[in-house]
Amino acid sequence: MKRLRAWGNDLMGFLFPLETDRWLTVLRIGLGLQVAVYALFLKNDWHYLFAGTGKGLVSRELGEAITSLDSPFIPKLGWLVALGGHIGVGEEMVLSVAWAGLLCAGCFLLLGLFCRPAAIIAWFLHLCAAESGGLLAYGADNFTTMGLFYLMLAPLPDRYSLDQWLVNTEPKDPQLLGFWQRVLQLHMCIVYFTGGLAKCLGSGWWDGSNLWRALTRPPFNIISPDILIRFKYVLPVLGISICLLEVGYIFFIWMKKTRLVWLIGILGMHIAIGLTMEMYLFALVMIVLNLAAFGVDSGVLFLRHRQRVRAVFPKQLSQ
Amino acid sequence: MTSKRIYAAWAGIHFFLITVICLRGIFALVATDATILPSALNTSARSGEVVLASVLGKDLAASNPWRLGIATYLHAAGSQAGYGFFAPNIPAYYKLILELYYEDGHIEYDVPHVQGGAAALRLDSLLDRLADPLYEPLREVTVKMLVLSVWQEHSDVKKIRAIFGSVNPPNISDFEHGKRESFQPLFSYDFSLRNEENQSTTQ
Repeated sequence: MKRLRAWGNDLMGFLFPLETDRWLTVLRIGLGLQVAVYALFLKNDWHYLFAGTGKGLVSRELGEAITSLDSPFIPKLGWLVALGGHIGVGEEMVLSVAWAGLLCAGCFLLLGLFCRPAAIIAWFLHLCAAESGGLLAYGADNFTTMGLFYLMLAPLPDRYSLDQWLVNTEPKDPQLLGFWQRVLQLHMCIVYFTGGLAKCLGSGWWDGSNLWRALTRPPFNIISPDILIRFKYVLPVLGISICLLEVGYIFFIWMKKTRLVWLIGILGMHIAIGLTMEMYLFALVMIVLNLAAFGVDSGVLFLRHRQRVRAVFPKQLSQ
Repeated sequence: MTSKRIYAAWAGIHFFLITVICLRGIFALVATDATILPSALNTSARSGEVVLASVLGKDLAASNPWRLGIATYLHAAGSQAGYGFFAPNIPAYYKLILELYYEDGHIEYDVPHVQGGAAALRLDSLLDRLADPLYEPLREVTVKMLVLSVWQEHSDVKKIRAIFGSVNPPNISDFEHGKRESFQPLFSYDFSLRNEENQSTTQ
């Protein structure tokens, strides 16, 4: 019984470490940038992607019908369009307002103005677009929704937000800040471990052929195959390195000695994905999530902040 | 302390669901013989996948509140799918080529298109899904909508034939020997736009 209690205490200690809100600043600014860039990238195609039957690329209703097979309670743009219909606002106007709302929410998050409402609106509108897009969605959407979900629940506002400057609120509970960072950290570990494990199970990652296929496959074929062929002996090494980086993340990111190296490796991988495959949104959201989860502690960002925890939260820590 | 326990309980349930989703994805890969693991494991993986699906309530009625609750929560948290991107191997690349037949008899070729690069990535994601047997029931209606989007730019077109196929890029050694990518048609649909009737053929 004693051992069980000790184990429970250890678990609670692990889940609720003392932490400052700097990681939250990184997450807020990073996701604000992500949401704003997402809206700007899709500016010219927004109506075309999300219009109803016969007005766009594929029908928004089709994507929403697929989503509704999972659950009719998942938010979607169709809800907003129906709401607009009740008050006499057309579909086109509703879609424009949704796009503008998303861009504004992103900008507000960047500045730290009305942090909590901005995070909730950004999460809701982004989720609506991702779910209505259905067939058009890809990995970056899931990670953005995931990040916004945690941001919306985390103890906002952080010290570097405009909210904090305008209304001087009490510092947040450092254990609660630590809890939400821990949740993000654990989630990232699951992401990389399962992603890496799935890659290890494919023969193409061991002989470099998957990297060749990834980099020569449209629309990711930015680098000419004639250039890639010169590095054909490096491809197996890179393929195995990606597998090891991802599978090893869950172990080596927690160790002080290896954290910085592993984080730089993972960030390097995402920067390379962004530049060589033009997957800018995917690269950006992964970099933001990694920096918020482990970047603050590793020394990549805010060096020496750990020593300042006591200075920032003396009251809470003395309890 | 009570609020801490509530937070901890939520985290436990949250990560349990995410782990189930991820493991289910891995089991699905093994079950379809898409990995380097021996085929002897396929049956066990299939059984594992079924068990994990039932944990998520997938074997319950579509209107079951438990099933709906889990699905809604996972979508809201952005965790409804696993993380096996580009795994275990890089999937084939698919293309939808449209043959536009004009009133005067001439033929032009086009593909569905969008303006920005970010949207183009999404269009490719859509085409990849169309090749997936899971999306087979939606294939024709989706292709029809893509055809309709192109037809709106060419209103004097009489008929459109949509040819969906995989683009097979050469491997490294084939590329060195001068081989280039090849297009293999998988299925085609004929759409007669005037009377909105269509016929489909599958190869």
